[in-house]
Amino acid sequence: MDWRDTLKKEIMHLTVARRLRIRFDRNKCTGVWECYEVCPVDCWTPDPEAHGVIFHDGDRCIACGACVLQCPEGAIQLTT
Amino acid sequence: MATVFMKWLETTPGDYDRGIQLLTLGRLKPLKERIATEYVRPGDRVLEVGCGTGTLALMMAQHGAAVVAIDSSPRMLAEARRKADQAGLAEAIEFHELDATELSERFSPASFDVFVSTLAFSEFPGQVQRYVLDEAGQLLRTGGRLLIADEVVPDGLGARLLFYAIRLPLVVVTWLLTRTITHALRRFSATLAETGFVPRVVESRLGGSLQLIEAHPLAKDQEAPAQDRPSLETCCLPCAVDSAVTSIIGEPAAPILDTAPSPDMIPHLHHQVTLKTVLLDLLSLINRFVPPYPQVAMGLYRIGDPGRESPVLATGNYELTVRRLVRELDGRVDCWLLVANSRGINVWCAAGGGHFTADGVVSAIKISGVREMVNRHELILPQLCANGVDGWQIREHTGWAVRWGPVRAEDVPAYLAAGRRKTAEMRWVTFPLRDRLEMTVVSTIFFGVLLAIPLSIFWPHLLGLALGAMILQAFAFGVFLPWIPGHDGLVKGAFLAAVTVLAVILWGQLDGNWTLTTYINRSLGLGFLAFFVAGEFQGMSPLMRGEANWDVEIGVGLLTLLAYAASRVLLST
Repeated sequence: MDWRDTLKKEIMHLTVARRLRIRFDRNKCTGVWECYEVCPVDCWTPDPEAHGVIFHDGDRCIACGACVLQCPEGAIQLTT
Repeated sequence: MATVFMKWLETTPGDYDRGIQLLTLGRLKPLKERIATEYVRPGDRVLEVGCGTGTLALMMAQHGAAVVAIDSSPRMLAEARRKADQAGLAEAIEFHELDATELSERFSPASFDVFVSTLAFSEFPGQVQRYVLDEAGQLLRTGGRLLIADEVVPDGLGARLLFYAIRLPLVVVTWLLTRTITHALRRFSATLAETGFVPRVVESRLGGSLQLIEAHPLAKDQEAPAQDRPSLETCCLPCAVDSAVTSIIGEPAAPILDTAPSPDMIPHLHHQVTLKTVLLDLLSLINRFVPPYPQVAMGLYRIGDPGRESPVLATGNYELTVRRLVRELDGRVDCWLLVANSRGINVWCAAGGGHFTADGVVSAIKISGVREMVNRHELILPQLCANGVDGWQIREHTGWAVRWGPVRAEDVPAYLAAGRRKTAEMRWVTFPLRDRLEMTVVSTIFFGVLLAIPLSIFWPHLLGLALGAMILQAFAFGVFLPWIPGHDGLVKGAFLAAVTVLAVILWGQLDGNWTLTTYINRSLGLGFLAFFVAGEFQGMSPLMRGEANWDVEIGVGLLTLLAYAASRVLLST
């Protein structure tokens, strides 16, 4: 049994969690606002005029990944 | 472990293999070998459900079988495909990413000789077990065989007590190391018989807790007489929370909803406070860290008196989640509640860790019979499961509309009354004083016990001091969290540690007769404790990013020890 993998995974999660940032590709956004619907910390605001959303608070993001999963266009990514 | 970045809960394929090996004490592999060598003949077409990382599929393919292996986890399948490629068996095994409830839609009837499954049925709620066994009956050819190797709760009181005595510590260790949980099967032979199989236990290991079961479908003319099979009227409709709440390990007989049921058959959930719910509340305070948690049987429930136009809410099967939801809804709203399998974990953590998924919701919609109950095919999911339950997958697989409801159960009535509209406050996660206090109590009990065990054995004279300090620190941290400087638990922890050291110094000054050693020891010990308490609290706070920082905690712990050793050396010279 190789427990080093498990240890490595722990350490990766612990260190990566602090560095994750949202990357939002405005051009892909079609304005379904699912990100706004699911964000629990108010990072997204609908922008009806532009048929899009505004990502406006990266500090508040808790990197839960909900917007990434629910965006049908793959416009949102969570990367380091 | 209410954290936001809940990937800690995730089980990687490697973890899963290790977890299973640990849980079954290495006894599963010989059973798999026996299946592959004795029960599968060259040329057989075999369907394996829940293939995991493909160990058994590979063995069977090596023996010349044509294997179709399914699993609902893409990551497990990727590992299985890699292993098959490596063994040069990619041609002999077809892998499909499929949920076990999708078999009859994907494969034609009577197209397999063998249906095999290891440690998968114990993962299914009772209703799903029956559904999949029904499917298996259809997919097997005449003379086909069903082979199931799984964990079983043994019969007989003595054997059962022994089983739990061995299993409990094993479950805790396995969970902490690999985040793998299994739930042993109960009454499985009866379930097999009820779904038209004749079962026989062919091998039994670990005191009867790990069994290899062979079963043959009854020929149609031999079908068991109708009165032997459970009927909807006599068996299984739990009528209140009380009976719907299963014991920690158990699973009640679940309603069989193959035929369109009438709404009256759907069990009601009522808000009530009984001795049992009080005990369950106490349990939830004592153990919020290690599963198994109390669960509610998966399926459809009624709250109030719902009709065909009433809303359908969905949630996970953690008993506390369901009970808190019912408390807010009962008497205020008439609605349907669809309980999907989240392995007894709260929705946010379960979704983050991959235990509550779109697959689980889709199979709940399919099996519960909810489609026949309502005209409006729209599912309201808790907003907080959006980090793991893919709404688009549900829409695609069921044709249902998916809406994200409010974060908190108490907002659901207002949300529904407003025509399914959320106010800003309904969308946001907060960590109010009440929740902070609950988490303080939960963590203090858990870490208190963890701390008390070594202290009472090795340093009983420090027990009172350490526990008292820890309780003070935890409550101070919980109450003043929003005002403690810093964005995460580490910075806040450093602050708490500094305050603790100041308090220790003040205490020493007031006491008046401390030696330098006492100052140093107490500052170091209690300072580190403060750091640890704050770090662990981070994992439970929804507003601090990340998990408990074990790496940093261990690092600071080692530094503390080093400082202690250094102080001893310096003071003795």
